[in-house]
Amino acid sequence: MKTVRIVALREERKRLIEHLQDSALIQINKHDKETEGFSRVDMTSQMQVFERNVTLTEQALKILDDYAREKAGLLSSFKGRREIDPDEIGVIALKSTEVMRLCNTINELNKKINENNAETIRIKTSLEQLETWKKLDIPLNTKDTDSTAVFIGSLPSLYNESELRTLIAGENPKLEFEFEIQYSGDNMTCLVLFAPISQKNMAEDVLRTLGSSRPMSPTHHTPKVKAKKLNKKLEDIRTENEKAVKRIISFADRREEIKVTQDYFRIRADKYNVINELDHTRHVFVISGFIPEEDCDKLVALCDRIATCYIEFGDADEDAPVKLKNNRFSRPAQNILTMYAAPSHADIDPTPLLAFFFYFFFGMMFSDAGYGLLMVIAIGIILKVFKPDERMRDNLKLFQYCGISTFFWGLIFGSIFGDAPASLYNYFTGSSVTMAQLLPWPTIDPQKDALILMIISIAFGLVHILVGMGCKFYICLKQKDYGGAFFDTGLWMMMLIGFAVLALGMAVSQTIMLIGAAMAIACAIGLVLTQGRKKKGFGKVIGGLASLYDITSYISDLLSYSRLLALGLTTGVMAQVFNMLSTMFGKSIVGMIFMIVILLVGHAVNIGLNALGSYVHTMRLQYVEMFSKFYEGGGQEFEPFSLKSKYIKIQEDK
Amino acid sequence: MIINEFNGMFFAIVGAAIATAFAGFGSAKGVGGAAQASMGVLSEDSSKFGKMLVLTLLPGTQGLYGFIVGFLILVNCGVLGGDMPTVGQGLAYLGASLAIGIGGMVSGFAQGKASVSGIAMSAKDDRNFSKAMVSVTLVEIYALLAFIVSLLVVISVPALNI
Repeated sequence: MKTVRIVALREERKRLIEHLQDSALIQINKHDKETEGFSRVDMTSQMQVFERNVTLTEQALKILDDYAREKAGLLSSFKGRREIDPDEIGVIALKSTEVMRLCNTINELNKKINENNAETIRIKTSLEQLETWKKLDIPLNTKDTDSTAVFIGSLPSLYNESELRTLIAGENPKLEFEFEIQYSGDNMTCLVLFAPISQKNMAEDVLRTLGSSRPMSPTHHTPKVKAKKLNKKLEDIRTENEKAVKRIISFADRREEIKVTQDYFRIRADKYNVINELDHTRHVFVISGFIPEEDCDKLVALCDRIATCYIEFGDADEDAPVKLKNNRFSRPAQNILTMYAAPSHADIDPTPLLAFFFYFFFGMMFSDAGYGLLMVIAIGIILKVFKPDERMRDNLKLFQYCGISTFFWGLIFGSIFGDAPASLYNYFTGSSVTMAQLLPWPTIDPQKDALILMIISIAFGLVHILVGMGCKFYICLKQKDYGGAFFDTGLWMMMLIGFAVLALGMAVSQTIMLIGAAMAIACAIGLVLTQGRKKKGFGKVIGGLASLYDITSYISDLLSYSRLLALGLTTGVMAQVFNMLSTMFGKSIVGMIFMIVILLVGHAVNIGLNALGSYVHTMRLQYVEMFSKFYEGGGQEFEPFSLKSKYIKIQEDK
Repeated sequence: MIINEFNGMFFAIVGAAIATAFAGFGSAKGVGGAAQASMGVLSEDSSKFGKMLVLTLLPGTQGLYGFIVGFLILVNCGVLGGDMPTVGQGLAYLGASLAIGIGGMVSGFAQGKASVSGIAMSAKDDRNFSKAMVSVTLVEIYALLAFIVSLLVVISVPALNI
């Protein structure tokens, strides 16, 4: 990684920055404050416009999706961004104003629909209230006449006419009144009460004590007319909404344009965001950032071609970002590495090792030739048909390589869709062969040879851990930390090898066993002598002895690899269970149909569950068992200034 | 003695039941809790479905291990093939199933709780996902060890002369 500084003329700023964004060569440093002697150009207002446009298009797309769902296939998430010609950008820019108008229209229409929906609810409530007054033939806000006071209201209890009459008379015997019940039910009585105008206050008091309340939203129309009006309005709103929805749906085929425009504004917002943080003088501006060493020449060529500028490269310090470079085989595993942490400058890039062990262990856990083949073919088709984006492609490739490994492990374990070949053969012929008899090559059956397989698993684990420690050894040597290399790492490595030799000796011969024991003891003594070297006085002895306690962590690490056996076995046995179930329904037509259904569903479930398990546990073996031995992480990934688009990508110049 | 009245198959089947049911109990509770938590997250942001699914399914393996032990017992003890076990062999199956039964159940509970926390963590920030996932798998080793013990016993019982 190199640092880079480009000084260029202000009038060429737009061109230069656009080309830098297209080429994605450099990561631009961002500082909040300008360097002394320079000033900043404020682009905030432009940026806000672009960002608002992005939001508007996002909303418009969402609205379109609500009313006219985009037809998306099950596998469409694999689909990569659409490639467009660089010249198309100009067309998009020209059209953008019109598309933004369209988005505004969509947003307006949606707002109108929402308002109308709220209005509909309001009208419906009013209609419900009017329902209780529908028998009334005078308006709800009828005023008193010269001689008679009129009260229209509802009481919060259910009464019939005579009950109410007694009640009112009981409240105030002097009151002269007449009333008409309009509606009674639901713990409510609606009535119109007349009284002489002279007794208005008396009548009011009585009604108040009874808990009378006036009807909501009184109008000068009779309830019947009012209800008719409201219904008419409701109908109008409905047709208006229908029209609006139709109009929105008619825009659905312009979705693609909106998406493209959104990306166009997103890219521009990004660009202005960068300009905002560059140092300017009256005539020139300065871009500073990082660039991978191998891209320096490309940058010089690019700048020479498009602008008059001065470029300066320098050596990057420890804070510089890291760009991982890997070949086709190990590149897919980069995502696994960065999910843990990007390597710091003290680290080596462990991706190739990670990739190899990832494929290897995944295959051992998933271990089925049929599933492996299925993975390879299915992913191959997806890669061909959908042309996914880089990151997705890497992830898919990772599983494709895992699939290859799965295939070979499946052959070793004699498992092709579990024991499907044998069980189907037995089903049709009535014989009873096993997979081992059917396959012409020698196989290891995880069910019968579990113990051997467990030893093999732990042996692989030992290799894995030793490789991890080897990396630590190498890193220490590179940093000239010889104590760390030979005492802290080397002795433990020798000790683990010693134990391995000892274990081998137990099975083979006494001499080898003695050699192993001698190695282990020698290393243990070495550890006791060296591990306290950084402590003082008495601590030296204690530190040395205490370090031997670390052996427990190595043992638990090694035992952890028994999951290679356990998960391998799980896949095989589950597949076998489904195969067995499928043949249980006899040889009739119905039985055959059951068989096919059970086989399809069963193996799909098995693939889902166990691929997930294998993925997770392989990852864990890498992260917890291997990385803990040497990997520091905490570096920054190289993130070049580039076109961060969602839907389109621009074809590279060929 | 009364024990002779039983045959070995009875113990073997009890063993298969213990392995499957208890480990399944642990997983069911673990996955159930995790599923509740993840649905809470999904109601806010349904695009996290893939990640939530992974974290939800992690406590599900215990049930699988229990089932495999149960299945292998059935295969060995005459229900789905193999020979009728003796009383001694039946008791051996029963003993073996206790390991994954109890180990699977308790680790299923524990892993379920860890999963819930992992879900909360990766709901806040997607980048936490791999850390959450690895932390949750740390619990699993104990179910695995129990499974391997059960397994080693179950596959060696038919050859035992007890």
